[in-house]
Amino acid sequence: MNEWMQQHPASIGGLVLWAIGLLWLMPSGKPGKSRPGLPGIILAAAGVLAFCLGAGRGIDTLQSEVMFWTFALTALLCAALMITSKNPVYGALWFALATLGTCGLFMLQSAPFLAAATIIVYAGAVIVTFLFVIMLAQQSGAAGYDRRAQLVVPAVLSSFVLLGVVVQQLQTNPLKVERPGIVAAEKQSTTKGSATSPPPLPSPDAPIPPPPPVIPAMLSKATPETPVGSMKGLGRSLFGDYLFAVELAGTILLVASIGAIAIAPRREEGAL
Amino acid sequence: MSEMTPLNYEELRSLMVAAGLFVLGAIGFLTRRNLILLVLSAELMLHGVSLSLVTFGKIHQNQEGQAFTIFVLTVAACEAGLALSLVLALYRQTHSLDIRLWSELREFDTPVPVMADADGPQSLPSAYDGIPLLTPAGRQPRELPRTVNADPKRPDRTPV
Repeated sequence: MNEWMQQHPASIGGLVLWAIGLLWLMPSGKPGKSRPGLPGIILAAAGVLAFCLGAGRGIDTLQSEVMFWTFALTALLCAALMITSKNPVYGALWFALATLGTCGLFMLQSAPFLAAATIIVYAGAVIVTFLFVIMLAQQSGAAGYDRRAQLVVPAVLSSFVLLGVVVQQLQTNPLKVERPGIVAAEKQSTTKGSATSPPPLPSPDAPIPPPPPVIPAMLSKATPETPVGSMKGLGRSLFGDYLFAVELAGTILLVASIGAIAIAPRREEGAL
Repeated sequence: MSEMTPLNYEELRSLMVAAGLFVLGAIGFLTRRNLILLVLSAELMLHGVSLSLVTFGKIHQNQEGQAFTIFVLTVAACEAGLALSLVLALYRQTHSLDIRLWSELREFDTPVPVMADADGPQSLPSAYDGIPLLTPAGRQPRELPRTVNADPKRPDRTPV
C-alpha cells in the first residue's frame, strides 16, 4: 500500500482532487448561497486527468492518445456533472454526453458495432423516454429534493475508497493474461525459417493422437478472418455460442414491455 | 502452452476509466433523491460494466466480452422501460419524485430517516390511497359524501 502510494502519486492525488471536486459540486440546498460551479469542475477535471495519467504512459501514436484523452475526459467529467446537476433535465443531457464518451472508448477498444448500438439505444431511445417522463412529472423545473443531496460525504468517501482499492490492485498486482494472438504470431515468426521442409509423415506404427479437446464457446474465439469486434465474428458468437441466450433476451424484452404496459397508469385511473 | 503477459497500459487505463464510471454511478445512486436520477445513475454503472467487458474481450482476443455487452444493453433497455413505468405509478400517488417519501417501505426495525428540509410534502398523503379494493359483493353500501365526485361509470371505486 505504501509502496503503491509512493510509486503512483498521480493516482492517489487524482482520486483526492476528484473527490473534493465532487463534494464541491454536490447540491447542498442552502437557499441563496449556491456555490459557483467552476472551481468544482476544474478540481474534478484535474483529478480525472491525474487519475488517468496514473495508468502510466507508453509509446503510442499521437492520434490514439488524443482520442483516448478526449473520450475518457468526456465520459468521466460528464458523468460527474450528471450526478451533481440540480436540474434533472440537464442531468439527462449530461448522461447523453457521458454515453457518447463511453461509445468513443468502445471504438478504441475495437467495438465499432457496439458503439453504434449503444448510441442508438441510449441517445435514441432511453434518453428521450427519460426526458418525456421528466417533463411530464416535473413541469415546474427543479424541485426542492433536487437542490439537496443526502448522505454526500459518506457516499463519496466510501465510493472513492472502493475506487482506490480497485486501482491499487490493478496497478500493483498486474493481471497476467494469455494472449493467443500474439503468441501464435511469435510462433509463426520463429518457425518460419525452418518451415521450408514439409513436416515428416507420421509412421503407420505411431499411436493415433487423441482428438483435440472440445472447447466451449469455440465460435467466440477471434481468428484472422473474424478479428475482435468484426460484425462477422460477433454474429457467429451471438448466434452460435449464445443462441439460447439471445432467445432468452428476446423473451425478457417481451416480458418487460408487457410489464411496463401493465404497471403504467391507465387513462381511466386519472391523468398525472 | 502460451506465455502470460501483464496488461499493457492501454488496457489498464481503460479498466480504470470503467471503474471510475461505475463509482460515479454508485455515488449518484446513493446521494441523489430524484427517482429518475437514480435510474440514470444505475445506467451509468452499467456503462462502466460494459466498458470493462469490452476491454476484457479485447485482452483475451475473443468476442465474448462484446456479446455479453449486447446482453447488458438489452437488459438495460428493459430496466429503463420498467423503471419509468414504476416511477410514473409512484408519481401518481405522491405527486413528487422524492425518494424519501417512500421511506415507509423500509424494514420495521430501521430508524426513521431524518427529514432535514422543510420544502415538499413530509410523508405520503395517506397510507390508504391507491390500495386495491375488493370486488363488490352483497348490497351496495350507501354512498358516503367523499365519493360525490367519483367516476359514475365505476361506482365501486373511491376517487384516488
